Formats: sequence, C-alpha cells, structure tokens
Amino acid sequence: MKKSLLSILLGFCIAVGKLFAQDILPKDSTEWMNFLHIQNQVPGLGYQLTFSPSLDSLRAKNLNLNLSKTDSGWVSDIREDFGIFSQLQQDSLDFQLTYFIFSSQNTEEAVREYISNLMRNGDFDPVTEKVKPKEDLVAMAVKSPYSPVFGNRYTFTADLKLFVVTVIIGFFFMVALLMILVMLFLKARKNRREILRKEYDQMIVDPLTTLLFEKELDELSNMKIAEYDPYFPQSYLSKPLYQDVLIHRIIGLNKKMKGEFKEKLKTIYHQLGLDQVSAAKIKQSKWHIIAEGLVEINEMDLVETLREVKKLSDSSNFHVRSLAVSALLNLSEKSDLSFLRDQTYPLSDWQQMNYLRIIKFVSAQKQLKIEMLFESKNMSIRIFGIKLVRMLGRVDLLERLAEMATLASNEEKIEILQTYEEIGAHMEVDFINQCLKSEDLDVVKQAIETSKSLGNEASVELLSGLLENLEDFSLRLLILKSIHELDKTKFDELTLNRGNSTFVEIRNHILDPKLIYV
Amino acid sequence: MKKILIIEDDLLISSLVQFRLKKDGYETYLVKDGNEGIKAIDTLSPDLIITDVMMPFRSGIEIIHHAKKSLPQTPIIVLSSLGEEEQVVLEAFNLGVADFVPKPFNPNELAIRVKRALS
Repeated sequence: MKKSLLSILLGFCIAVGKLFAQDILPKDSTEWMNFLHIQNQVPGLGYQLTFSPSLDSLRAKNLNLNLSKTDSGWVSDIREDFGIFSQLQQDSLDFQLTYFIFSSQNTEEAVREYISNLMRNGDFDPVTEKVKPKEDLVAMAVKSPYSPVFGNRYTFTADLKLFVVTVIIGFFFMVALLMILVMLFLKARKNRREILRKEYDQMIVDPLTTLLFEKELDELSNMKIAEYDPYFPQSYLSKPLYQDVLIHRIIGLNKKMKGEFKEKLKTIYHQLGLDQVSAAKIKQSKWHIIAEGLVEINEMDLVETLREVKKLSDSSNFHVRSLAVSALLNLSEKSDLSFLRDQTYPLSDWQQMNYLRIIKFVSAQKQLKIEMLFESKNMSIRIFGIKLVRMLGRVDLLERLAEMATLASNEEKIEILQTYEEIGAHMEVDFINQCLKSEDLDVVKQAIETSKSLGNEASVELLSGLLENLEDFSLRLLILKSIHELDKTKFDELTLNRGNSTFVEIRNHILDPKLIYV
Repeated sequence: MKKILIIEDDLLISSLVQFRLKKDGYETYLVKDGNEGIKAIDTLSPDLIITDVMMPFRSGIEIIHHAKKSLPQTPIIVLSSLGEEEQVVLEAFNLGVADFVPKPFNPNELAIRVKRALS
C-alpha cells in the first residue's frame, strides 16, 4: 500500500515537473528561437545551420560561420552558441536548423524534452527575458533611501535566536569589562590611599615625638590650635585620611606608653579636635565605624561622649553593645550599673568575662552598685550580678541576695548556691535545705555540693532521704561525700550497716586518701 | 659616644626611644626587622642593643641568640608587650639579657635602665 502510494506520488511529482518545465519552453517557433538566443548556450546542445545553395559565396564567407558548400546547400560547423540568431534574423536569411545532443543528431521535439529534463533535474536554469529598466539606474538609486547596513540589519534581526545569543554574549562581555574597570579603579584607589597613608605616617612621627619630649603637659594644654600648626598643619588636619592615620598613631602609642606620656597624648588628641572625629563616628550608621569610635572613646577617655555611648549599650549589634558597655564601665563617673541593668539582650559568656575584667579593675576605684543588677528584667544580667558578688567577694550583698533568692529561677538558684558556698554564707542554710527538696536535678546537685561545707543536721536528714531515692552513682557519691563531711557517724551507719555493696565501694573510695579528689 | 642599636618594627616607638636616647648623648641606629637587626649587630658592633620580641622575619629571641654569640659582652634590653608572658621573659633572661621592659613603658624609665646597663 505504502509502495503504491509512493509510486503514485513520485509519478505525480515527475508529471508536474514535466508540465512545469514544458510550460516555460515556448511552443511558437519564433519564440523558441528567441528562447535559445537568450540562453546563448545550453549544456550538451549543439546545432548546425544549413543555408540555401543560392547563397552568394561572398556573403557566405562574410557570415564568418565557416560554411562549406554541399549538395544540399551551405552547411556550418556544429556550433553551441545561439547568440548569432539575432544577426541572422536581422539579415533575413533563410536557414534550417539541425540539432545535436552530445554530437548526436536529434529532432526539435527531442531537444525540448532534453531541455525539460535538464531543468527538472536542476542542471539548467533558463534565463528569462531581461527586462530593461524603464528608468535610469542612478535615478532609481536616488529615490531609494541610503542605508549601508540595512541589509545586514535585516538579516541579523530576522534571526531572533542569533540576535538574543549575540545580545547575551555582548552583555556578558560588557559586564566583565565593567567589572575589570571597577576592580582596577578600586585597586588604584587603594594603592593611592596606602601610599598616602605611609606618607602621612612618616609626616606624623617627628612632630609627635617632638611634642611629647619638648613640651610639658601644661604647655600642651594651653597651646591653641594655631600653635599646633607647625607640627600638624590645618590643611592636612582637615583631610579624613590624615585624621585617621593620626588617630591610629596616637591610640597605638597610648596603648604602649605610660605615665605622663599617656596624659600628653590625650591632651594632644583633644587639642587637635580628634575627639570630635571620634564622637562623630558613634553617630554613623555602619556598625564597624561605631565600634571604631567606641574604641577611640574608651582609649582616650572621652567622657563627654558618655551620654551617646549609653544609648548604644542596648544596641542590637553584639560588638557595639559590648564595646559601649566596656566604655561606660571604664569611663563612667557615676557609680551605678543602671545601663547594664536595662539591657534587654542576653549577656554571652565572652561579654561577662570582658565586663568582669573591667569591673574588677574599676571596683577598686569606684563604689559600683552591683545590687542594681538584681532588679533587671533580664535574667542573664541578674545571673551576672550574682557572679559579681561571688567574684568580688561582696559579703555585704548577701542579704540582698537572700531577698531575691526566694523568687529566683533555677539557674539563678544554682548561681546563688555557688556564691554562698564560695563566700561561706552559713546563715543561708535554710535556703540550701530548701534547694535539696527542689524538683530540678541541677539545683539539687548544686545544693548537695554546697551543703558539704554549709549544711546542718537537717541537711544530713535530707541528704539521707535523697540517698534512698536517687540511684545515680555520681549523685550517691556526691551525697555520701557531703554526709561524710557533715556527720561521720551517719556516714558509717549508711555505708556499713545497710549491706549495700555500692555504698561500701563509695565509702572505700571516699576514705582512700589517694582518691580524695577523684 | 656609645652606640645603641634599636630593633623595633613600630616606627613611632623606635623614633620615640631614639629621640629620648639622643637627648642623653647616645649614638642611635634604628632597624625595623629581625634580619636587618642581625646584619646591624655584625656591622655596627653596638655597645647596647634594645630589641622587641615580636618582629618580622626573625624574633627577638633569635636576635638575642645571635648577639650573645657574636658580641657576648654587649648588654641587651628587651622591650616587649609580651611582658606578661612568663615564658618569654624567662627565656630572655636565661639567654642573658640585661633587662626586660614591658610595654606600656615610659621612655624616661627606659633611659635610666639604658644608663644602668651601660655602666
């Protein structure tokens, strides 16, 4: 079925092609001659001309067709160019045509068939009659608008995919080029800044050294800004980079100097107006600039900025908050920790360690009101307050601690118990016993530990009860250690008379001097 | 005039020390890293060396080692912010340094220690 359909289709195509090709070929003899004349040559097609014998021999010679006289008349060679037809028609000469296809004589009908086949197979593309423009070409060109890239543009935009891909690649290269340019620009700017920084650094060393050694503190304090001009010219002082290098240098030196030199550096810092630069930094929006300003304020004791610094002590940024509190602890004249009490963010261990270091240092000079921290709504602050009581050995605050202990959370209770243990608060034994009854295992554990040094008879009873109820080995060891410290008779009774092998092992462990700290 | 070699990577600190020691009439030489320090010890043969511990290329401890080999009689003063690190201080003294000045320091105090070391 398929085969027959294919045959029909092929036959149809051939027939259509044949018809189409034959339609182009003229049927009229004059037209046919014109057709051949226009083609000038057809591959493989030749012809021979035969003129009447009556043709004058001189004229035959003038035709330049290399005619030879035969019985039938004047006969030409086999030729392939049909271009001479027009001349022959103009001369009104009678002639006969004999066709040759590849040197084989054929009829006109066979020639038509041959040309049709050539056209169908695509081996010959006939030239249609040339239409001469009615107007002059130059005149036509003038009417057409001049657009040198019109053709290209049309081809380019016509292929949408090519256009899109080209645009993307072009965009990529443009972005890459732009990025390279930006990087080069930034690199050049950074290099320029570095060079300037080194230059300023060199410029600062000598004047700073001279001022520190040649001027007394009073002289520096009384010098006016104009008098500093020979050392640090105003034209440079107004430049942010120069200010930055100078601040960096003075602060770096302040960290490494002591005594009168430290004071001189602070005076120079104030006199040159660098304190204003530091104060402006903490009003910026970028946290690292604020942090930089806070470090400068802390290092150079800029107490006049403390009001602004206090606002930053509850900043959402960890670093800003930590630095602000450090600066306040260091510089605040007021001996209270209200700014710390009002903090809403929890204190990290790192912050607590940092603040403790400062508080330890400043508490020798100032009477800090640590009890204010117990009033905080922030539990981490209250716990820090309890730790401070313990670390600083503030026995005077035990009473205040006892007041808050009743309402304290489990974490706070643990800290309070540790504090009682460290300070030796025997009067708080009731609280310890109360904690031995707690439902929180961590509180109980700490209470057992604390009762070892601060417990009483009631504690021993409570510990004995716990020993019966708790099965954890480490807790039993802890309980028996406490009981051993508080009441040796009870310890013997519990470990020897119960027939419990675990208790005997724990007893041996406790009584072994080699294992006393294990 | 006594020659003092100052080996310190902080330009401002070294300049301050130099300024102060010049006031006392010493001839001072500054170098800013460990390599230059070792070269200067060999070429200058100073009467006293002041050196930092943490420096580029060579540490102060290496410098003390070198100085004690090539100039065993030259007193050395260590000027360092590692003053609180007992190990560094002990190692420096074990190598035979004359003094250890921890940062932060007072240049006037350093000048007195220099005078004492040279006497």
